[in-house]
Amino acid sequence: MKSWRFSKGCPSVEYNNFHSYSAGGRLVTALSLLDGRIKVTDRVIDSVFKCQLCGNCDVTCKMCRFDMEPLAALRELRFKLVEDGYTVPQHKPVMEGFRKQNNMLNKVKAKRGDWADGLNLKDLSKDKAEIVFHTGCRYSYDNDLNHVAKASVSILQKAGVDFGIMGKEENCCGGRAYNMGYLKDFAAGAANNIKAWTKAGVKTVVTPCADCYYTFKRLYPEAGSEIKVLHMVEFINQLVKQGKINFKKPVPMRVTYHDPCYLGRQGEPYIPWKGKEKKIFGQVVVYEPRRPRYNGAYGIYEPPRDVLRAIPGLELVEMERIKEAAWCCGAGGGVKEAYPEFSKWTAKERIEEAAATGADAIVSACPWCERNFIDAIKECDKKMKVVDIIELVYQAIGDGRNFK
Amino acid sequence: MEIKKEQLSKIVGAEYVFNDSQTLEAYAKDLSFVLSVKPRFVVKPKNVDEVQRLVRWANETNTPLVPLSSGPPRFHGDTVPSTPGGVIVELSRMNKILRIDRRNRITIIEPGVTYSQLEPELAKEGMRVTMPLLPRGNKSIIASLLERQPTLIPRYNYSLPEPLRDCGVVWGSGEISYTGHAGNGSYSLDEQWEAGNIPVDPRGPNATDFMRLLTGAQGSMGIVVWASVKCEILPSIRKLFFIPANKLEDLIDFSYRLQRLRLGDEVILVNNVLFATMLGKNSDQIRDLKEKFPPWVMIIGIAGRALYPEEKLDVQEKDLTDLVQHFGLKLQTEIAGTANKEVLNTILNPSTEPYWKLKYKGGCEDIFFLTTLDKAPHYIQVMYATADALKYPASDIGIYIQPQHQGVSHHCEFNLPFNPKDAKEMAKVKELYSKASEELIGQGAYFARPYGMWANLVYNRDAQSTMALRKIKKIFDPNNVMNPGKLCFKSIGK
Amino acid sequence: MTLSKDAYQELEDIVGPENISDDPSILDSYAFEWLAELVRPDQSHYMPRPVAVIMPASTEEVQAITRVCNKYKIKIKPLSTGWYHWAGPIKDEDDTLQVDLRRMNRILEIDEKNMFAIVEPYVICAQLQAEVMKRGLNINIIGAGASTSIVASACAYAGMGPSTYWMGHNSDNVLGMEWVTPSGEIIRTGSLGSGDGWFCSEGPGPSVRGICRGFLGSRGGLGVYTKCAIKLSHWPGPTEFIVRGTLPAFRLPIPDNFRVYTLAVPSWDAWADTYYKIYDNEIGYIFHRQFTLAGADLGPALWLTLNDHTKTLNDVEEMIKKPDIKELTEELRISFQLILAGRSLRDIELQDKILDQILAETGGWKVKRFCEQDMAEFTNVYLQRLGHKHLNFVWVGGYLGSWMQPGTPDFVKKYVPIAIKGLYRDAAGGLLVQCGGDALMGCGSTVAGGGWSGLEQFVSYDPADKESIKAGTKHMEDAITDAVSHGIPAGKEAIYLSLGYKDEKVWASLARSQQPIIFHFQRKIKEAFDPNDIGDRNYPTLPENYKIE
Repeated sequence: MKSWRFSKGCPSVEYNNFHSYSAGGRLVTALSLLDGRIKVTDRVIDSVFKCQLCGNCDVTCKMCRFDMEPLAALRELRFKLVEDGYTVPQHKPVMEGFRKQNNMLNKVKAKRGDWADGLNLKDLSKDKAEIVFHTGCRYSYDNDLNHVAKASVSILQKAGVDFGIMGKEENCCGGRAYNMGYLKDFAAGAANNIKAWTKAGVKTVVTPCADCYYTFKRLYPEAGSEIKVLHMVEFINQLVKQGKINFKKPVPMRVTYHDPCYLGRQGEPYIPWKGKEKKIFGQVVVYEPRRPRYNGAYGIYEPPRDVLRAIPGLELVEMERIKEAAWCCGAGGGVKEAYPEFSKWTAKERIEEAAATGADAIVSACPWCERNFIDAIKECDKKMKVVDIIELVYQAIGDGRNFK
Repeated sequence: MEIKKEQLSKIVGAEYVFNDSQTLEAYAKDLSFVLSVKPRFVVKPKNVDEVQRLVRWANETNTPLVPLSSGPPRFHGDTVPSTPGGVIVELSRMNKILRIDRRNRITIIEPGVTYSQLEPELAKEGMRVTMPLLPRGNKSIIASLLERQPTLIPRYNYSLPEPLRDCGVVWGSGEISYTGHAGNGSYSLDEQWEAGNIPVDPRGPNATDFMRLLTGAQGSMGIVVWASVKCEILPSIRKLFFIPANKLEDLIDFSYRLQRLRLGDEVILVNNVLFATMLGKNSDQIRDLKEKFPPWVMIIGIAGRALYPEEKLDVQEKDLTDLVQHFGLKLQTEIAGTANKEVLNTILNPSTEPYWKLKYKGGCEDIFFLTTLDKAPHYIQVMYATADALKYPASDIGIYIQPQHQGVSHHCEFNLPFNPKDAKEMAKVKELYSKASEELIGQGAYFARPYGMWANLVYNRDAQSTMALRKIKKIFDPNNVMNPGKLCFKSIGK
Repeated sequence: MTLSKDAYQELEDIVGPENISDDPSILDSYAFEWLAELVRPDQSHYMPRPVAVIMPASTEEVQAITRVCNKYKIKIKPLSTGWYHWAGPIKDEDDTLQVDLRRMNRILEIDEKNMFAIVEPYVICAQLQAEVMKRGLNINIIGAGASTSIVASACAYAGMGPSTYWMGHNSDNVLGMEWVTPSGEIIRTGSLGSGDGWFCSEGPGPSVRGICRGFLGSRGGLGVYTKCAIKLSHWPGPTEFIVRGTLPAFRLPIPDNFRVYTLAVPSWDAWADTYYKIYDNEIGYIFHRQFTLAGADLGPALWLTLNDHTKTLNDVEEMIKKPDIKELTEELRISFQLILAGRSLRDIELQDKILDQILAETGGWKVKRFCEQDMAEFTNVYLQRLGHKHLNFVWVGGYLGSWMQPGTPDFVKKYVPIAIKGLYRDAAGGLLVQCGGDALMGCGSTVAGGGWSGLEQFVSYDPADKESIKAGTKHMEDAITDAVSHGIPAGKEAIYLSLGYKDEKVWASLARSQQPIIFHFQRKIKEAFDPNDIGDRNYPTLPENYKIE
């Protein structure tokens, strides 16, 4: 904690104030439901779903505890409510869109690959490659942002990477559905994706979206996936270090980097664990086999920073809350869909923090973060640029094309 | 009256009940301007039992009691009865030093114990008690601490009542309790001691700081019959320094930093008049020294105690020198007009006779309050302006600023000497005292110890505290027998 | 128990509908309390539910709420960051309104020169420390850690921590307080009441603050504290608290003018002697017996594995079998932490020299492994910020504190062997964590300048296991028996247990105290300031003419 102003961690309890809106309070809600002390009311639904599942609570808890999984418990609570038929009304149309059109934005499936028109990319619904570039729903359909997808594939082409896209056959990763509590829908979507990749001979999925990254890396292994997962920023970092990307043009900007929750504290390397609890020293709970700690500190923090530091002319200044302590952008967990005011407020808090560094731009590595920041800045008096790290890389490569 | 004398004699013994004219006169007034009111009796109890019986008797007969422990001259009017028919409870016979414990650095004393009496006894155990500035030799330590008289070593002043710790008190209701940790044990101090319950912690017991209800109370809540006091280790080696200045403002930033670093023992800020008054043996000397001394002097004492005292002293001296240089001030061991040793000896001891403040002109009135240091220069201006308007010579005003509470609050004191035999001068000082007090209070000077006429001014500013204190008084002294009429309490009746 | 429609409406009119709720899920999040399971029927995790939770934004709103509570005879229970199971409603039969002060969270002013800050109840120690360190200042952080409310500890509870020895107890440090009494008056204490600023807590005349708090405060049972000023201390370190390392291996580099030591002594007599000599020589900035909270038998292994993110508690089981860990465990058996801070390099060197001499005289030593850079820097971050407080719960999620009778080091050392023996005995059946009989943690001094301590036994139980919970409760009862049978008063556990008692049992225990008049005085104070009895039992009183049956 470096100041009073930027000392908070949990957007939900900061915005809503009642204790139920903190992780601890939500766990009590779960206990009260299990014990039959309470019934599901609108308030319960509100307190359970008005949370981005950013994972800050998880990190804080695990600093000192080995036996607590707050984030997992918060998800289980959502799964249970959804299964029992309780859901957030605003999520319904989103999920209908997921089931029918295979995306989270209520867009037409057939148009999913349109962003790639004219880019001469391998179509892995027909062809094969070991690397699939998974665009993600947001980059596929959001016309303000899909220049980042175009920049991404251009970078990969320039680096001579053999890859393809699924185009209109690309399915939503299902991560947002999962976080909204729709376990079955997620499972169905995951199965489809894994099948399609296997058929295409894919060994690695590269994605520019942190949401997808987390989903593929940490949720898909449980569903049987053995496919390696890289975020574009990791891949770019590797390519830079291998000399396959060279930065020719300076980018004279002062930027600050926002760690997306799903790339950072929820982007740690993951190995599925199955085991049991046992007690030692009388009452100390341990796990057999040992269960990894996942305290959020080993997410993808340095690769984006290495990339930014490698870009000539670029000055990186850090916010107070970075890495595993980052303040959420506000978009996750179904919050942007269901609680736009809360989502925007969360983003504005982050914009304030970014502006306090004196940076010209807030840089991230996730389209949902960027969408939320762009929307929030419209209502802020702090005018900052919102850029994706891939944009800056593309600028620095000096390819010349402007996809915006 | 005869009945009362008999009743009192049954409690303390006939030879300790006084109602002769001379005795009553002596207690009917002090050197303040409060109205002189004669008590009916003066009694001198010897133990807690007698004190409790006195208080119970007072409740039964509706007789005001005024507890008093220190010898004369007294200054603040708090021990002059505010109502007629009262009994002075003179506690000087209760002058036992009950315990001295070097390991826990605690002494337990009765109210009649004075600084002069305690100092040599503590010295035998390698300890001393932090003193105020030149207290009278006959000043009761407990009275001094209860009235929150400022002590000289700010870094030991963890809170304003320090070094006062636990107390035994006979409340105005006649009930007895012990304050602080002693309140958790039996009424036998010996038993507590045997059980290892040393009265070190001043807090409580439980959810009330009973000791704090007694501090600043001017005896209006109860009678303290013993108190434990935290002791310092007696330094093996000392050094005294002076920092001269033309204005107080020149010393302020340095003083703040000094307190913050908790560097040094005694830290005293005095103007030339006060300094001269401290050291001059008579009024001619005082006049002479006033001219010789710089307008302001900061007196800083450093000491070495326990292990490696010389090295402790050396490190402090070097750190002090660095600090003084950083602020562009001069650190001196001598000041023209006096010898270092003489000053050291003066501040380490009680006042010689006659009481030092009276040496200049025979009489003296003090105006004092608490403030943060940054506001002190303003209050000095207010004092001077008021003095000028009444043609009281500013060059006679002694100023003493004592950092307290490790530098957070400062006792600021103005001495107004006058010739008590000169009626005009006395009237002028009385007027000055009144006008200046009013002006200072109006400008935010915090008169935390509201003696005499200050009480009305202070409590008029703070209705809620007044209401709260009256409720508290009703609890601990329901029949208003304890020094009625002081502070914000009624002078007669419940 | 529910709030009448009228009462609810009047309260809602004060704060707005988004700041009050009587939804059961909200209420339960306040009723659920750590430690409740030790005292509630069927080991329930819940204390009584409040009738509603309300969140005011200002002192005026608190006052208005208080008036409504008086009108409808609703008990009022303020809460900031909370800690024990007495933070919420206490009695099932009471209608209690939980007043959650989290919206009152501003630092109003930092007066660097005069060394105090003015804060609202939801300002936590870490926030204020971060802000004042920028100015070269520091604050006393209480033992319950950096996430606790300053106003709560200063005005309403205790106020001691590892920094109390040098920086003062919060009862020393509290300056002006703003108090909304149960009858709805606003009392501002000390200089604040006179309009003279926040800097002085005493007076005018007798100090009204004397009824606000003593050894403890009223713990929410006698009104609401809405602001206070708190005295600060010098910080001779860097202006930013720059933590290095990757979670969990956080480290705070040690500047040249600091030393961070874990010291050990050969006996409890030597422990007391060492403490007295530290006091006498006035060395030390932070002084605490911290690491033994994890138990003297398991602690050393835990501390060495904690900072390795690849390790888990399973590793503790393996480590304690290793010969070097066994040796270290014995070395650390009677140990504690001391951080020295010098105002200059020469000052710190002399402090070091003095410490060496003290250790030579008492037979103590610096524990080499824990004084190595990694462990020293870990100790530094732990004790300076005291943000690792959740470690109290590290073993299995439940911990209770027993013993902790306050006293001189000579007094404390007398009960230590009894406490140690008792915990070994109570944990022998495997229903409590077997971390060692010495799981005693405590401040170097709970009185500024030294002279007073107290050691709290950290007894760990599994809150999800009814038998373990029952063993925890039993331990507390046994601890009382152990103490009393040795002529030592009951410790902290007595307060914990009292939350499960009916009034009569509480009164009986108060009446058995050595000077029960204290509780009669407190009853009278309550009658004067809380005539409608809207404060709860956290402010202890005895009924008039009470006699034990």
